[in-house]
Amino acid sequence: MDLSFLTVQVLSALRQAAFLFLISSGLTLIFGVLNILNFAHGALYMLGAYFVYALTLHLTGPAGFLIAILAAPLGVALIATVIETGLLRRIYMQEEIYQLLLTYALVLIIDDLAKIVFGPEFKSIPKPEMLSGSVTLFGGTVPVYTLLVVVLAPAVALLLWYLLYKTKTGKVVRATSSDREMADALGINMSALFTLVFAFGAVLAGLGGALAGPVRTVFPGVGTEVIIESFVVVVIGGLGNLWGALVGSILIGSLETIGIIVFPEFEMALIYLLMVAVLVVRPWGLFGRPLKIKALSEKNLAMEAQEISPVHFTVHPAVRWAPLLLLLLVPLFAGRFYQYLLTQIFVASLMAIAFNLLLGTTGLLSFGQAAFFGVGAYTVGLLLTKAGFGTLPALVLSPVVAAAVAGIIGFFCVRLSGVHFAMLTLAFGQLIFAVVFKWYGFTGGDNGIQGIRVNPIPFGGMGALDLGSTQAMYYFVLVVVGLSVELLRRIRSSPFGATLKAIRENSQRASFLGVNIKLYQWTVFVVAGAFTGLAGGLYALMEKSISPEIIHWSKSAEPVFMTIIGGIYTFAGPAVGAVVYVILNSYLVAWTEKWALVLGLVLLTLVLLLPGGVVGYVNEKARQTLGKLRCIHKWPFSKSATS
Amino acid sequence: MAILEVRNIVKSFGGLRALQDVTLSVEKGEIRAVIGPNGAGKSTLFNVMTGLLAPDSGNVVFDGEQIIGMPPHRIIRKGIGRSFQITNIFPRMSVFENVQVALFSHHGKSRNPLHLARKFTEIGEETIAILEQVGLAGKYDMSASILSHGDQKRLEIAISLASRPKLLMLDEPTAGMSRFESRETVSLLQRISREQGLTLIFTEHDMDIVFAISEKIMVLQQGAVIADGTPAEIKANPEVRKAYLGEEITES
Repeated sequence: MDLSFLTVQVLSALRQAAFLFLISSGLTLIFGVLNILNFAHGALYMLGAYFVYALTLHLTGPAGFLIAILAAPLGVALIATVIETGLLRRIYMQEEIYQLLLTYALVLIIDDLAKIVFGPEFKSIPKPEMLSGSVTLFGGTVPVYTLLVVVLAPAVALLLWYLLYKTKTGKVVRATSSDREMADALGINMSALFTLVFAFGAVLAGLGGALAGPVRTVFPGVGTEVIIESFVVVVIGGLGNLWGALVGSILIGSLETIGIIVFPEFEMALIYLLMVAVLVVRPWGLFGRPLKIKALSEKNLAMEAQEISPVHFTVHPAVRWAPLLLLLLVPLFAGRFYQYLLTQIFVASLMAIAFNLLLGTTGLLSFGQAAFFGVGAYTVGLLLTKAGFGTLPALVLSPVVAAAVAGIIGFFCVRLSGVHFAMLTLAFGQLIFAVVFKWYGFTGGDNGIQGIRVNPIPFGGMGALDLGSTQAMYYFVLVVVGLSVELLRRIRSSPFGATLKAIRENSQRASFLGVNIKLYQWTVFVVAGAFTGLAGGLYALMEKSISPEIIHWSKSAEPVFMTIIGGIYTFAGPAVGAVVYVILNSYLVAWTEKWALVLGLVLLTLVLLLPGGVVGYVNEKARQTLGKLRCIHKWPFSKSATS
Repeated sequence: MAILEVRNIVKSFGGLRALQDVTLSVEKGEIRAVIGPNGAGKSTLFNVMTGLLAPDSGNVVFDGEQIIGMPPHRIIRKGIGRSFQITNIFPRMSVFENVQVALFSHHGKSRNPLHLARKFTEIGEETIAILEQVGLAGKYDMSASILSHGDQKRLEIAISLASRPKLLMLDEPTAGMSRFESRETVSLLQRISREQGLTLIFTEHDMDIVFAISEKIMVLQQGAVIADGTPAEIKANPEVRKAYLGEEITES
């Protein structure tokens, strides 16, 4: 290895690190003060790049380029200010998941708006002549622009250090970051500070985008690629820690460069492997500290805080069985398209209900459920195409394999909580995605597995069940999902389920009941993983072809949406959400290209106006009416209680 | 016979010695107060006894068994219940569920994933019985988050009772309560201790309460025991008067 090669590679790594640092420093700053993991940070980065693109169309020459680079972040800051004051501010008192979702809804909305304004194609931003040349350094050819970025990023870091450590506002920011209540009690104007920090974080993201735009291309959705990388950086460094973001950026920047040279196949996997390794050894990142557990008084407990707790009602059996009966009759009058749509909904419901056993019941936000779905699907796909298994044995093995994988992943994840738990599940999920995506020899890589043959299921000499038709598949999936959902319902209403709820509400108190919290969390993680794997197995059977996309983290977001749409603290909520989501998906995609925009707006509205979800809302509003109609009734301890 | 023996506990946080050679012996059925100014080490002592903190040295023997080094959930299973200074309930569960879930754990049913919780009628009856004991049975189906502060505290005691402890440790059971609520809570505690032979250890700032119900009082100051004895002895102890009580205690 000669010096010129080394120079080029080191500078390339540093450039990558510089971009990462610009984005993740803002992300970590916002998290430190606002306690929000801002999904929209990548979208802000994208806007920075687009603004430079738009400005340089009109402003030419080096001066114009400079003005564009400086003006774009300010434009982004303006948008961020509107977002913070108009939207985020309303939900600071809510639980983390709602803040996460609101920023995610913003990603969907901003991405589609960018598509409308700037078009769907890739845009490249021309650099002025004086910056597009290259120089020779230690024998290696290095673009001038790279040098500029590599010099500029440390300058920004230095400026940040000055602002945070040498100015009064900076001290206030650091004080708030380390103890929010205390800062509040000292009379610091929190809402002004939050706006300032959010806007400032956006400036950094915008600057990152503005500088990266001319070397990378910009297109709608580029932010989503960037944000996950930045998550990795800030989580490795320690959420809320600026030096963590710096070190994390350099680590990831170098690893990416080394990875491309040494293991081009598994470059992507390396990053997630590093993240997993760091979090396993240091759960709060290299420079992070455990987050202070929010006092309960701080959280919004309005939800489910009605005068009478819904758990003391039972649904009339007829109400429960009627939909099933209806579904059994559907194929008599609905065509193949609707049967297929419903089959999709069944699979999605199973995944969402299993997911909500983690989120709604236990209070664990998993962002890696797609991994278990994928493991289930690939188990069926590989066993059928490569191992010559029968349909039923393959399907039975899908939850088993998924549970085994969940057992290993869960072992590490349940040691964490809140955002850290979500991030570690995300990292494991992406690790599995990266491996499946590139392992051509075993999983078929990005080609996936095509033409999965679903053989008839033999019935011990009494003929066989042929799943060839849409209708047969419809009934088969209905039965499997129906049985699974009934099992999940029992689990949720059992003493085990009650204990999980207690862990969600107050894990410290639960441990003082003599409950081994981590063991319970691990168990429920494995159970949810198993049912998610089964959903994946069914998916492979009905679609007959699978690709790694089903393991990508954006697939993990789907059950989150469904659950929030339907209602997080209800059993049927996620299923209702699945109905809404799948229907929106199939019809909107046909009707408009702006499907993400609509979904984003729906999510935004729900988070802001209907945090209990559709079913939660109906439950609350209609309890009396439902009681009068005898659809629900109170269960019987009331007699001895009121005597 | 002593149900709890705390022997020579030492615990430091960095340079600060939070507990210095604390020794405490509590008889079965006794009501024992642990008092001392803020920062005297009361909560630290409780945390050591329930496994939340590991001491630097020393022993805790409960019911003839060494419990230092056990995780909290195992110590609870040995028969120590605990209530906390900050109200510690399951807010978005009903009053009934709050106690029911504790009983599931006590009866070893928490792992049962396939039977409906409400079908456990015996546990249901037991739940109601405990709620009646603390006077919350009428509110069984209310969400715990909307109870008054006093009721939440009582619910917390009910949760602790559900694990059928031999020893109940209460960290400021009347903190933040109105005078009326405190008096009710105190008589509730006294009654429970008497009826069930339950041993109580509690910390408290309100001296009226301490002297009204304690059989013995231990006084901590800066992590060290400065006095341990009957209320009369404590009142008469000149060191206690000087160091902690000042002139606050006048013979009444």
